[in-house]
Amino acid sequence: MEIIKTIDLEKTYRDNAMPVHALKGISLAIKKGEYTVIAGPSGSGKTTLLNLIGALDKPTKGKVFLEGEDISRFSRNQLGELRLNKIGFVFQAFNLVPVLSSLENVEFTMMLKGIPERERKERALAIMQELSIDMLADKRPNEMSGGQQQRVAVARAIVNNPSIVLADEPTANLDTATGSDLLDLMEQMNRERNITFVFSSHDQQVIKRAKRLLTLKDGKIVEDKMIEG
Amino acid sequence: MLVKLAWRNIWRNARRSMIILLSVIVGLAAIVLYDSISVGMIRQMLDNQIGAHVSHIQVHNEGFSDNKIIQNYIPDPEKVEAAIQNTPHIRYYSKRVITFGILSSAYSSSGISLIGIDPGKEEQVTKIKESIIEGGYLSGKEHEIVIGKQLAEKLEVGVGDKVVAMASALSGNIGSEMFRVAGIYRTFSSEFDKTHIYVNLPGAQKMLELGNNISEFAVILDDLDQQQQIKTQLAAALNDHYEVLTYKELLPLLVMQVEVYQESIFIFYAIIAVAMIFGIINTMLMSVFERIREFGVLMAVGMKNRRLFWMILLEAFFLGTLGTGIGFVISYLLYLPLSNSGINLSAFSDSLTSFGAGTTIYPVLTVESVISALLVIPFIAVLGAVYPAFKAVRLEPMNAIRYV
Repeated sequence: MEIIKTIDLEKTYRDNAMPVHALKGISLAIKKGEYTVIAGPSGSGKTTLLNLIGALDKPTKGKVFLEGEDISRFSRNQLGELRLNKIGFVFQAFNLVPVLSSLENVEFTMMLKGIPERERKERALAIMQELSIDMLADKRPNEMSGGQQQRVAVARAIVNNPSIVLADEPTANLDTATGSDLLDLMEQMNRERNITFVFSSHDQQVIKRAKRLLTLKDGKIVEDKMIEG
Repeated sequence: MLVKLAWRNIWRNARRSMIILLSVIVGLAAIVLYDSISVGMIRQMLDNQIGAHVSHIQVHNEGFSDNKIIQNYIPDPEKVEAAIQNTPHIRYYSKRVITFGILSSAYSSSGISLIGIDPGKEEQVTKIKESIIEGGYLSGKEHEIVIGKQLAEKLEVGVGDKVVAMASALSGNIGSEMFRVAGIYRTFSSEFDKTHIYVNLPGAQKMLELGNNISEFAVILDDLDQQQQIKTQLAAALNDHYEVLTYKELLPLLVMQVEVYQESIFIFYAIIAVAMIFGIINTMLMSVFERIREFGVLMAVGMKNRRLFWMILLEAFFLGTLGTGIGFVISYLLYLPLSNSGINLSAFSDSLTSFGAGTTIYPVLTVESVISALLVIPFIAVLGAVYPAFKAVRLEPMNAIRYV
């Protein structure tokens, strides 16, 4: 089953009135349970592609389908709804809400969905236990290490059982060992929960673990290869 | 959780929040104190006028209020007195003879308003007895007169001295009578003290050839708010030959002053609001700009614009409400002793007494003032956050996340 499908996706930015073609006709499909890394040099269009897949931006041309639904022309509100219900995000800078504890950060998207407090606490604690971060439940982001924060961010991303989790350079702010632990965790989630992960990264340790590697260059896919486990 | 989030957000930059809280507290304290002092002064002016002479309701012969000549006497005072006695919620009443004339001493003379009163009844209606500062009140003996301090000074007389009052009598002849000063009073108003003299009712009736007739009934009610209802009842009990006037009709200038004040307090509110709203806008804008990335993340993970908008308004509401709460407690603690001891403004006694206010102002905090202050400030705070909140929800999550 295809979670994501893009058809002839183009994105053009205007930089001082000069058009910058960030993506040039990207067509791809990502299936349920895939563990995909979008790699490529800076400026190749990795983040732009991730933003379009993640309903954070709209294409200049082409279409994006999420679970068969064309989201390219969704309104701002529809996109927000879609992100809440179907997409999980892990950001490079962790981006937890600083005034909330880890538990509250994990609960947050469930709160946005209107899930009752008791249920969301139970679910948040369960996922934190699964990720071995339940002991951090009461800690606020500034009381945790980068690795711990990113684990909490992963918990926040997957707690709503999204169709896909998008991780933009998730290891960029972590040391190698911590990054490796984090990748172990995401691989485990992919394996055990069949969660679809799409990474954008130029970190070699992320790229090495990819089960599918999409390489972008100048806004085009130059390589799309499945890697044998 | 949104409430928790908003509450915690305001303490992220505690110093900034404290500054805005301080401005709210000072603004609220200014409003409460200004309002209570103004209300106190207005009420005092009204109470002074009512308590000195005007009373709650006056009954006259028709046309007396426009032309206060002695010929405009009440022709059937028994009928009016019966109507007053039969009307419920009238606590006290007093009969008066009123005319204009001249009071002379051996040294000087002055235009006056001569008021003949029944001392026992008058002291229930007005505060003239309480205002005596030298000598005594009218005891009912013949030829007694009570005059104001200013007039006594002008005529250069003291207690026990002789004065002569002259006024046009009912027949048109000049009626005159010699009086001996029994007492000297001082009220809130130097103008009043200069012009009003009190004599016993029979003496005034005799001097003015009025027989048993009188010019005016002054009435005090159980409750001032009943004045319109009692006026209607009294007017119905009497016929068209009488005029029944409430203090509002008798003191139109003062009533207008109260209305002007009620409008002017809103101008004061507006000034405070404008000063405060820019502070709130500035604070909230700073707060929004500092959190652009965070808002981007919140929107990225699915927070809708409406929720984000409310969260920012909620933060401002908390600041406004907290500031209002603290400000009100502080204002009330300042107000309490002032309302008991009053604010001594004797340095401005000349202008205050000519204005009809006392030299000590007792602030009065009304329920309306409290409600207005408690509602207005949080509302202003929320209003001040609308623009910053609007800026926040217009952010594009993708750009906001990468904002540096």
